[in-house]
Amino acid sequence: MRLINIKPDRTWTFALAVLPFLALLVAYLMGSAMRLAENPNDKLLPGFGAMAEAVKHMALQPDPRSGIYLMWNDTLSSLSLLLTALAVSTLIALVVGILIGLLPLVGATFGPVVAVASMVPPLALLPILFIIMGLGDAAKIALIVIGTALKLVRDVALRVKDLPREQIIKAQTLGASTWQIGTRVVLPQMLPRLIDAVRLELGPAWLFLIAAEAIAADAGLGYRIFLVRRYLAMDVIIPYVIWITLLAFLMDLALRLLQQKAFPWFAGARAA
Amino acid sequence: MTAIVFDKVWKEYGDHVVLERIELSIAPRSFVALVGPSGCGKTTFLRMLLGEEKPTRGQILVGGVPLKAEPGADRGVVFQRYSVFPHLTVLQNVIIGREFEESPLLGKLFGFRRREAEAEARKLLDAVGLKGHEDKYPAALSGGMQQRLALAQALNRKPKILLLDEPFGALDPGIRADIHVLIRRIWNENDLTVVMVTHDLSEAFRLGTRVIAFERPRNRPEELERYGATLDDVSVAEALSKAGASVTRDFDVWPKKVAAALPNGAAGAGAQLDLKLAPANDSQAPG
Amino acid sequence: MNRSVSRFLTGAVAAAASLTLAFSPAHAAEKKDFKVAWSIYVGWMPWGYATDTGIVKKWADKYGITIEVKQFNDYVESINQYTAGAFDAVTLTNMDALSIPAAGGVDTTAVIVGDYSNGNDAIILKGKDKLEDIKGQTVNLVEFSVSHYLLARALESVKLAEKDVKVVNTSDADMASAYATPDVTAVATWKPIVSTILESPDAKLVYDSSSIPGEIIDLMAANTEVLKDNPKFGKALAGIWYDTMKALAEDKAAKEHMAKASGTDVAGFDDQLKTTKLFATPADAIAFTTGADIKAKSELVSTFLFDKALLGKDAKSAGAIGIEFPDKSVFGEKGNVKLRFDATYMQAAADGKL
Repeated sequence: MRLINIKPDRTWTFALAVLPFLALLVAYLMGSAMRLAENPNDKLLPGFGAMAEAVKHMALQPDPRSGIYLMWNDTLSSLSLLLTALAVSTLIALVVGILIGLLPLVGATFGPVVAVASMVPPLALLPILFIIMGLGDAAKIALIVIGTALKLVRDVALRVKDLPREQIIKAQTLGASTWQIGTRVVLPQMLPRLIDAVRLELGPAWLFLIAAEAIAADAGLGYRIFLVRRYLAMDVIIPYVIWITLLAFLMDLALRLLQQKAFPWFAGARAA
Repeated sequence: MTAIVFDKVWKEYGDHVVLERIELSIAPRSFVALVGPSGCGKTTFLRMLLGEEKPTRGQILVGGVPLKAEPGADRGVVFQRYSVFPHLTVLQNVIIGREFEESPLLGKLFGFRRREAEAEARKLLDAVGLKGHEDKYPAALSGGMQQRLALAQALNRKPKILLLDEPFGALDPGIRADIHVLIRRIWNENDLTVVMVTHDLSEAFRLGTRVIAFERPRNRPEELERYGATLDDVSVAEALSKAGASVTRDFDVWPKKVAAALPNGAAGAGAQLDLKLAPANDSQAPG
Repeated sequence: MNRSVSRFLTGAVAAAASLTLAFSPAHAAEKKDFKVAWSIYVGWMPWGYATDTGIVKKWADKYGITIEVKQFNDYVESINQYTAGAFDAVTLTNMDALSIPAAGGVDTTAVIVGDYSNGNDAIILKGKDKLEDIKGQTVNLVEFSVSHYLLARALESVKLAEKDVKVVNTSDADMASAYATPDVTAVATWKPIVSTILESPDAKLVYDSSSIPGEIIDLMAANTEVLKDNPKFGKALAGIWYDTMKALAEDKAAKEHMAKASGTDVAGFDDQLKTTKLFATPADAIAFTTGADIKAKSELVSTFLFDKALLGKDAKSAGAIGIEFPDKSVFGEKGNVKLRFDATYMQAAADGKL
């Protein structure tokens, strides 16, 4: 039988999916045990007990110096930056993207600028942003916005152009003005597509957030990781990485569910 | 009454002439079918009438007024695909025309006016055979039902001219026959001039009161670029004998089909379906 | 789950487990190949010079070993690599030696005490010239670094505490450009960043490490076990270091080389050297290392680290990690000595017994 025709049944599908996780876990546990046997204070591969202890300190007990719950404080700080930035990006993408995609005049004026600007590596702008906007939250939000909004704008503009010409003509024969076409025909059809695009930009958004927090911050998930890195506290870093991964995964899931619930027509339209 | 007049219309793309010196007038309430091979210019002709394309030379008059070079509410359209909005339910698809008309800012109606628009839309949906499907999204409808919806959507805005761009080309034959009955009834009951592009000659002769064939008289490669399709008027008998010849023809379909008189201009109200139409025009179709 | 599936999973997991051998730490034993990590800082530039001019090779050959010297652009990464076991020795400060490898259970010995900061680390205020003015300000610094320690000592000296200021962790690479932004009004950092910032007219130096001499010490430290099994390695390091010190004192080209490697010119390098108390001879270094002062200063550093919970979460006191001095006296827990000041190799250099 050809390899392309061998498909796992349900049990095997589950087993194959679990396998990499299990293998990673076992490899880690054994490596950790080996290093700890040699040096009980080893920081590189802490045991799960040490990590649980660290999480308890960070998440369940107030910090003795400041009285705040560090992990929740970090999470809140990072998420508020990330969500603010994504909200700004999304809004920019919708307005600018639809204008560029729908109006040839705007497209001709701003399309090339956006195309060029979206090629600028955002991280390279970070030093400039810090000088212009200071080291506070504004620069971090700006970095995430620059890093994600331009790509979202291009994506929305392309998808507006991908709408069948027939729909736009049809709307005009029904007497719609440009404004009405934008708000009643194009915008509602862009929303679910934008969710797809935002899901893809979640990864870059986290990357920019963590990079910005590493350089100057007093709270945040990325800040904590780069801070405790100074004394190789893997017992904090590893749970934080897992936590960030989980948050990103949950955000992705939430967006997917939102798309299903809020735009029930979209699955059918996409298949067509 | 809206007569359509093509006054020496040319359409060129750069050096490429698509339509050449089209001179034509279409009487109000006629049902014109445009036929011809791919690339003959019949779709360009329709697009110019739609306002999507502008003639290079000459002008198009509708009711004596030169046509604006953009689509408008006086000309409804149904395309082969993508004629309805996928993000709106069947009912919403129909009332959106009324919403565009009555709510310039929000494009949405509320309260009493909405209920009124919905009642009107439901009647139309009933007439095109979509009763009971009001809350479905188009993706859940079959191809035939989507085209019925597209017709209802276009008619709700009460256009004077209905343009059909191969509207039934993607449908199965059985469904196509049903929808032929529907489109003929619509034409018959409304103050409507219909212009339809089709590649199906039997459909053209069965539905049309007049069939216009587009063809390129000059077929040498070096000529193809420089000369467009033309029109010519001939009698039906001559046309039938010459159908498929290299000369472009304009047929009056026999026996004559005449739309029912409308009681005091109240479009559609109480008009009876006129089925005394040419029985077997298919057999006359060449090839 | 069916049998073949579970058998497959067991096998795959076992295979993964065998791969973990790669994670296991290096075992100390007599060996011939050694790796040393260093990073750009005025007190450590000699290591780059010694590598480039063959001094390292000369001493390695003499003891029949090889020494690979690797320069890191990221100081913390070099210490982390050493702590993880990838390197046998590293250049670091006494404070970082305590908080990173020692707190991580890696027994570390200071083979060479090279210098202490005598003004190299500084606190700068924008437009204010008294340290007291720092109260209520936001201070940008690399948290948990010697700058943070300097800030703690500075605040103590004017009866303030860390709660009187707000600390914002800021990468050293961005410190100079951070100072250029309007909302940054106070920074604690080190040279050459200090020199760059002081070029702007509103920058006022209000406190520097010359007020706390001998507390921020720059070391070449090696893994204690590796050193015990391979005394040759320690001797080679001492030989390399003092040969290079001699070159720096006598050969103008040596200083030029180091200046260039640290991205400045001789004048700029001299400016950094001026605020660095470099022990040019082994005798100077031994005098400092065996003196009584170093014990008291080590206690100050340990106390700071304990306050910041950097000695490990289980640490019960500033003495949780024992520090052994050349006279074998210990500060803190005798059962948990992880940092040792050892004058043996410097003494051998002083005695000409290398």
